[in-house]
Amino acid sequence: MPTIELVNVTKTFNEGKVLAVDNISVRIEHGEYVFLIGPTGCGKTTTLRMIAGLEEPTKGKVLIDGKDVKGIPPEDRDMGFIFQHFEIFDHLTVWENVTFGLEMRGYDDDHIVKEAEKALKTVDLLQYADEYPSIFGNPGLQKLGIARAIATGAKILIMDEPLGSLDPKVSKVFRHELRNLVKDLGLTAIHVTHNQEESMAIADKIIIMRGGKLLQMGSPYELYENPNNIFVANFLGETNFLQGFVLKLFENEDMKINIRLGGPELNIYNFGKKFSLNDNIIIAFRYEDVYLFPEDYNFKSSQYDWSKMQLFVAILEVSRFVGATKRFYLLLDNGDKFVSVKPGNFEESFTSGQKLVIGIHQDDIHVFKAPKDILYELSLS
Amino acid sequence: MVNIELKNVTKTFRKFTALEDISIEIRDKEYFIILGPTGAGKTTLLKLIAGLHKPDSGNIFFDGKDVTNKTAGERNIGFMFENYALFPHMNIVENVSYSGRVHARDPQTTATLVNQVLMMTLLTGRNDAYPEELSGGMKQRVALCRSLLNLEQTKLLILDEPLKALDAGLRMSLRRELRLMAKSKELELTIIHVTNDEQEAMMVADRIAVIDQGRIVQVGTPHEIYYHPKNLFVAYFMSEINHFIGICTKSEKPTWDIFSKSKQSDKLYSEIQEDSVPLPINIGFDATFAGYLNKSLYDEIEHGEKVLLVVRANHMKIRLGNRVYDKKNAILGKILRRKFMGVFYRFEVLIKIKQQEKVIIVTIPATYEIHKTFFENSEVTIYFPKELGIIFKHPGEDVITEVLKLE
Repeated sequence: MPTIELVNVTKTFNEGKVLAVDNISVRIEHGEYVFLIGPTGCGKTTTLRMIAGLEEPTKGKVLIDGKDVKGIPPEDRDMGFIFQHFEIFDHLTVWENVTFGLEMRGYDDDHIVKEAEKALKTVDLLQYADEYPSIFGNPGLQKLGIARAIATGAKILIMDEPLGSLDPKVSKVFRHELRNLVKDLGLTAIHVTHNQEESMAIADKIIIMRGGKLLQMGSPYELYENPNNIFVANFLGETNFLQGFVLKLFENEDMKINIRLGGPELNIYNFGKKFSLNDNIIIAFRYEDVYLFPEDYNFKSSQYDWSKMQLFVAILEVSRFVGATKRFYLLLDNGDKFVSVKPGNFEESFTSGQKLVIGIHQDDIHVFKAPKDILYELSLS
Repeated sequence: MVNIELKNVTKTFRKFTALEDISIEIRDKEYFIILGPTGAGKTTLLKLIAGLHKPDSGNIFFDGKDVTNKTAGERNIGFMFENYALFPHMNIVENVSYSGRVHARDPQTTATLVNQVLMMTLLTGRNDAYPEELSGGMKQRVALCRSLLNLEQTKLLILDEPLKALDAGLRMSLRRELRLMAKSKELELTIIHVTNDEQEAMMVADRIAVIDQGRIVQVGTPHEIYYHPKNLFVAYFMSEINHFIGICTKSEKPTWDIFSKSKQSDKLYSEIQEDSVPLPINIGFDATFAGYLNKSLYDEIEHGEKVLLVVRANHMKIRLGNRVYDKKNAILGKILRRKFMGVFYRFEVLIKIKQQEKVIIVTIPATYEIHKTFFENSEVTIYFPKELGIIFKHPGEDVITEVLKLE
């Protein structure tokens, strides 16, 4: 039952001049499918390499099943590796590619045949056993890579951009297959990517890194619903950010604050975060959490509890059909813009330039103190 | 005015046919997308239009004039290709405003325009950086800015995967800015833009040409391509789909009134009913589904013939147990997997047709509270409005396998 733990791990290069990973602690449970994501240079690959044994931490410990693995080389860590560029041996057949690793480990013939057959069957490649890998396109090569990794019986899969070389359309189909396979085999998987959408689609748990630091860790749902900083809110999914300031504080009422945006005033219940009067703040809300009503909508006619819905007026600039969704681009009095996304079959007869009533549920609004450099926070690098 | 027409254009490289018998028309001030998978011939098509390749046969017309034998320079088009070709000795502003010098535009106008495009692409603040100091995504944005300004006479811009190297967030916002820019009163551009991203295509295009294996499969508005795909490939390329193979039961009296309108009064559905006809198909011993078939195909398909029914994953609906009021186009199943994907929940549902198990994909918006009542192993009913079932002639098992990348 492998669990993987990083305890206060730091990694520096060039005699301490480059800080690649800055004091991170992570626990990965048995059978968990974990993603390490973040912009280029955030330290995700270095972290993966330390787990794999390809780098040693400068400080801190890597524990596998509670045991410090310092000095244990990659091949003795019970891990299978899958790479972006497959690293398949062209001069060996499909069968030989899979059995190679088993032979190197000195297993007997029966074991090798049994495990290779099982692994190739799992990825549906058994019928190609005697062919050379050159008959495959990229998806086939990556399946072979997976077969090779699981044939050794490794309980941990280490993957560095495993879908990075596939055509985007193919990768969207293949990612579900990859998750299903890992879950069905009960493996613990660690997957590095820069593709946020891919991590949302596959992960049990996502670790977001930036500048060597761990920013936030949690299930896709937790990170998506409760990002704890502006970068995370922006990195996963599509989010509106509007600037405003604290207009009033209601000390007794559940930490309620009243904020002014460019035009509208909103009442927001914040969750224990401290704000002072006139603080500059950023509010964040998802595109899909923005509800749209015509100006003459009769709010009393429905049973819905409107008290928790923040309502204000905005102008519809333009809307666009994007298949599964429709996007509405909206404008506030002060020129600030935001976006609403609705399902593609959303019925409406709004026209450009029309005034609309905007509704956002207060639980869907996140309030952050305005950072010194908002452009840095919102940049994805 | 820019009106571009390709008539029966074919291009081969040695024995490989890159493009076969292409005829399309791109209208003045149109945002035209060429959409297709890797290796479909998209870039070759762009290069033919730009004059960087010559067709083996067929003709290319600009505003009615045959330019087939004209060079790229003579066609006077702005283009941006995947390798950005920035001037390494010039900083961002100099690179972007270079065209101002070439076209002898007045410096004030150039400065205003340069400022505008740099703001749009979030490059302001890095004005004096040189290309070698920039990331791939930034270089791509500089190249895009430069090509936007390098348009004096033709106002025709050709873009080959202009947003490919960008991070997800920026790519999304630039799609919209690009379209706004093209449609702005100052520029009013005609744009031909190549991409393999269907979301990007629907977001920016007035019309989309879907291309596969060197042939144009369909040309239409995003709406037409999405709701009236011409074949399985187009349907599959625009979103995740489910497919069923069934027997056309045309001449039989349908067991239920398929000609009645669905409860949904959506404009969309009435539109679909205009140019298609409903058709019940038998997908198993006891299951009949109905979908819509293009009117022009109705006579080609005979009773008892195999047909293909396609339903998009996001058009499938799902309810717990057997609670669907209207039992038509519905089938019982069990949830195998449930995954939160951000905007959507994605379900894999196991159903049985003809004693064979099949996995159906259903996606529902995460903002719909109802998803909270379904879990893995829940017994559910999945169903779809017949107007959103698309029926095709059966293209053959090998075509289905190839298109859906089942191998």
